[in-house]
Amino acid sequence: MTKITFSVNGESRTIETDPLRRLLDVLREDLGLTGVKEGCAEGECGACSVIKDGLLVNSCMVPIGTCEGARIVTPEGLRETDRGRTIIDAYADSGAVQCGFCTPGMMMATEALLEKNSQPSEAEAREALSGNLCRCTGYDMIVEGVLKAAERGKGLW
Amino acid sequence: MVEAYRPSSLEEALKIRADKGALPFAGGTDLMVKYRYESGAVPEYPAPVIFLTHLEEIRKIYSQDGELHLGAGTSLAELMSHSEVPELLKEAVRTIAAPGLRNTATLAGNICNASPAADGVCALYALDSRVKLSSPRSSRELAIYEFITGPGKTELREDELLTEIIIPRDRSTTRLFRKVGTRKANALSKLSIAAAARLSGERVDEVRIALGAVAPTVLRSVELEKQIQGLSRAELSERLEHFVQSYEAMVQPIDDQRSTAVYRKKVAVNLLRQFLTSIAA
Amino acid sequence: MKAQISTPIRRVDAKDKTSGAARYLADMSFEGMLYAKAVRSERPRAKILRIEVPRLPEGYTYVDASDIPAGGKNKIEMIKDDWPVFADKEVRFVGETLALIVGPDRGMLNRLCREVKVEYQDLEPALTIDEAESLKGGAIHGTDNLYADYNLRKGDPEEAFKKADRIIEDEISTGYQEHIYMEPQGVVARPEADGKLGVYFSGQCPFYVRHAVAGAMGVDEEMVRVQQAVTGGAFGGKEHYPDVISTSLAVAARKVGRPVGYFFDRVEDISYTPKRHPSRTTFRTAVDERGNVLAMDIDVKLNAGAYESCSMVVLQRAIFSVNSVYDIQNVKIRGRAFATNNVPSDAYRGFGAPQGLFAMEVHMSHLARTLGLSDLKYKSRHLIKKGGLTVTNGRIHEEVKLPEMIERIDEMSDYRRKVKEFKKGSWRGVGFSMFNHGSGFTGNGEQEIIRGVVKMRKRSDGLVDLLVSNVEMGQGLQTTFRKIAAMVLDLPVDQVVYNDPNTDLVPDSGPTCASRSIAIVGYLVQEAAKKLKARWGEEGEVLVEHRYAHPPRLHWDQEKLDGDAYPSYGWGINVIEVEVDPLTYEVETKGIWAIHDVGVAIDEKVVEGQVDGGIIQALGYGSLEKLEVKDGRFQQRTMADYTIPTSMDFPRIKSALVDNPYEYGPFGAKGAGELVFDGAAAAFADAVQMAIDRDISRIPVTPEYIMEVYEND
Ligand SMILES: Cc1cc2nc3c(=O)[nH]c(=O)nc-3n(C[C@H](O)[C@H](O)[C@H](O)COP(=O)(O)OP(=O)(O)OC[C@H]3O[C@@H](n4cnc5c(N)ncnc54)[C@H](O)[C@@H]3O)c2cc1C
Ligand code: FES
Ligand code: FES
Repeated sequence: MTKITFSVNGESRTIETDPLRRLLDVLREDLGLTGVKEGCAEGECGACSVIKDGLLVNSCMVPIGTCEGARIVTPEGLRETDRGRTIIDAYADSGAVQCGFCTPGMMMATEALLEKNSQPSEAEAREALSGNLCRCTGYDMIVEGVLKAAERGKGLW
Repeated sequence: MVEAYRPSSLEEALKIRADKGALPFAGGTDLMVKYRYESGAVPEYPAPVIFLTHLEEIRKIYSQDGELHLGAGTSLAELMSHSEVPELLKEAVRTIAAPGLRNTATLAGNICNASPAADGVCALYALDSRVKLSSPRSSRELAIYEFITGPGKTELREDELLTEIIIPRDRSTTRLFRKVGTRKANALSKLSIAAAARLSGERVDEVRIALGAVAPTVLRSVELEKQIQGLSRAELSERLEHFVQSYEAMVQPIDDQRSTAVYRKKVAVNLLRQFLTSIAA
Repeated sequence: MKAQISTPIRRVDAKDKTSGAARYLADMSFEGMLYAKAVRSERPRAKILRIEVPRLPEGYTYVDASDIPAGGKNKIEMIKDDWPVFADKEVRFVGETLALIVGPDRGMLNRLCREVKVEYQDLEPALTIDEAESLKGGAIHGTDNLYADYNLRKGDPEEAFKKADRIIEDEISTGYQEHIYMEPQGVVARPEADGKLGVYFSGQCPFYVRHAVAGAMGVDEEMVRVQQAVTGGAFGGKEHYPDVISTSLAVAARKVGRPVGYFFDRVEDISYTPKRHPSRTTFRTAVDERGNVLAMDIDVKLNAGAYESCSMVVLQRAIFSVNSVYDIQNVKIRGRAFATNNVPSDAYRGFGAPQGLFAMEVHMSHLARTLGLSDLKYKSRHLIKKGGLTVTNGRIHEEVKLPEMIERIDEMSDYRRKVKEFKKGSWRGVGFSMFNHGSGFTGNGEQEIIRGVVKMRKRSDGLVDLLVSNVEMGQGLQTTFRKIAAMVLDLPVDQVVYNDPNTDLVPDSGPTCASRSIAIVGYLVQEAAKKLKARWGEEGEVLVEHRYAHPPRLHWDQEKLDGDAYPSYGWGINVIEVEVDPLTYEVETKGIWAIHDVGVAIDEKVVEGQVDGGIIQALGYGSLEKLEVKDGRFQQRTMADYTIPTSMDFPRIKSALVDNPYEYGPFGAKGAGELVFDGAAAAFADAVQMAIDRDISRIPVTPEYIMEVYEND
């Protein structure tokens, strides 16, 4: 058991747990942040995407022991920001959501992309989403959602 | 339940490695998959685990004596955005997994995992790279092809960590990296080729060719390269099929869940021929 | 002219899903819940001699067939009931459930399951269609390994074959496909305070689950309450399999008296849950001197796996679809579903139709290639028209708009010009496919088996409850059903309440499958709304209901499989352009075009979403998704090895719709969910065969396969 202090959605948290547990499980089980989904547990699907210290990561691949001092943002945090709201609206207007299981992860990948590149091309958007699998939409409308968020969110990123 | 260590210096890390026989844990993208067995359960590691990527000593990228040193803790994303990293390596790394994974995974992990299909490793072979291995008492350097000895097997000693990857300056004038993956992105390699050549006028001064996933380790033949070096482009053109056949004889892939031996061989040879043709007259 | 209802609105569930607020099953909390994990067969076919259970730590319970309550039975009641809840005498496939272990820690459960020692007496498994047909190891099912064996006849094939100028033979096959719904399977069973058994699940058919659980537990159906949770994709994969999980979980929950949850790990999900049926179809086709088809003799074989489940119905759809959009005057069709020692094959978007349609479309293109005729002209000569006879001697009652659609898609894609420009074997190709899909249950299923009922209630607060058992699983029903009701009632969409169904609260309007939700149930919603509207002025609560009635013009003989197999059809055309790399045989898809007739779109954006997703899923099926079996085990068991398309595999799809209102559909709508899956694999294969100038006869069309046909010519 190790004591780990890190910040989640801007709030400092200290937990005592096995440092080899996955960040994914700590977020979902200990902190109740169920917007983070588990689709594969192998780093393939991106449903578990969160932002760690400003970078997109797959939370199923991250042991909580490596998160000492880290800043984590989950969909629950992002949705409370102007950026988050912009992406959510742009997705809704683009038809980007079907079953929705991939979508919170897609939103995190979109945030990570726009943070680096606020006016991406379609090809850049596709590349940025390539680690987030979606079985429902065929991606076109998600890509449209990303571009729409970039367009509408001028100045936010 | 095994211990997990988060040392505060490289020195401490090396000591833990030596004393506890701890498993080096970089980005964890290979380890988390290898030792996981059930979602919602803690992975079952065979030994204590030692986290590495936070250590400042191995997070540096710097040049020295015309060679590039990549700290073992730098992520694939970091080295992709570094101006001095050779293009050939960048191209290879860009094909690994997807953006999120590249933020955590390391090149050191790609090497130590020793998969013949590791994309970064294929480029490192073609770049004449070396690895620096450190233990509490000493350190040594090995060429990448000396370090990796078989699928999942390396020369890493029980008290060592890989601390740096060293890449001589790439003075090639022609390059090719091509990964044939299971799909267009976020894909594992069926096979890959990393090749570089330096032409001066009509002469082939230098050539380096590595083939991934077609043999138990990345395949590179210094022997054949020597035979090509020094030839004029016209001479290479004449003897091209001879070289292609020599490579073909060395390519010994397997059938697995991703592809077939026949395909791997045929396509590896096609890509090799394409590269040789591009440097021949 | 576009119908008003087609104008898109924002999906009602979009925001909650994106923000992470929507609660899927694994996001819900159940006080005191334990986890379950299955002890699974490691052999494809064996007798169970002995099972040695390790000593379980405190808090862990072993549950097997002996725990099924008196009055219950060790059978899962689906369309057939041959699949046992717990295997107790023999195992028929790798991964079959022998027992569950229940307890608090998932890591511990996994270890305990691995410690259970099973002594088997191995029997020789039959894994392929050929092995099943030759009864390798003795029959698995009945005396002939056939779950179903059907014969269809139209016209006089024997006579027509006598007039043949030429007879052309062909064999087309399709592989397994795994659903990869992004949310893996999951069920929670809980003994409730009111004495009922509660089942919470991710899936498509609440009343199927209720029926199966009640049967296994030996209780009245009313004693089981099933609640669907927000479902992260299904595609047919959650049509019957939740019955398999729920029945064993119900037994476990009763035994331990606590909620028990089973959330599949992805590897477990890929390894052991049902797949699309692999198929092999052979054609003997008689043509006249101009190349026109006189007659076909078609033999369809499906690999149905270890238990029958719904294979009989999948086979029906496969053979009813095997002439696709073509009116072949004289046809003889035999269809068989074989029992093998693989994971049972089951429902997957299209339900047999994609296999039949792919085979026919590719065969038609082979005929054109063999005869040296233009693909599109050749296919066009054989198109079915309004009033035309189907292979079950039913009629096409609607106008067939394919000729108009051909012109539209040619304009969109420049198909005809590209055919001329890209020469055969130039490594560039453009492919064309046409297809149709019957909406609703096959034959008289809607009338005889389902008899769906929809209820609608005006509440005293002015809101309207829409009471149906159909579920939102990503296809947009939360939005489209509300739109239908709201439009009839002239209310804002958000005044219609439609919750994820709970079997205690909604009538049985049937399962969510077979492209029936809009075409069949949506119509009931419309009709119920009309009744409610007529009584809108009444004070207080008003409850109305509407029950399915078969359109009078249809006839069906289930014994002979004769008549109108489907009440209506959706129609479509896909064009796909590719470039094949001559060095690696990798295919780059350069363009995708689609046009569909779904009657009237209830919401254009929702339909377009189905089109995009369906086509990309079909391109995965056609090009990437290889699933091989070795010794009864799937070789691709992770999402790294079983590769579905990413955002970078295919370019943007350009699609269009034509209006063709259907009189018994809501606002003229027909089904769309499966139709959109039906054509892309064939168009892709067709494009590749043009690029390399060789026949392509199976999917997935992997680079390995392209190399094989190219080199071995
Ligand atoms: C979804 C997914 C996709 C992937 N796609 C690709 C791909 O396209 N191409 C590809 O090549 N790989 C791919 N991989 C494999 C993996 O991501 C790479 O091999 C990665 O570079 C490993 O780095 P890591 O830091 O995560 O390694 P880790 O998992 O931390 O370690 C890997 C191995 O190296 C050892 N190790 C790590 N660092 C050191 C050190 N400093 N000293 C000594 N030993 C050390 C570890 O003990 C372990 O044995 C993929 C993995 C996943 C999960
Ligand atoms: S659950 Fe983490 S990538 Fe799929
Ligand atoms: S919307 Fe269902 S997986 Fe993306």
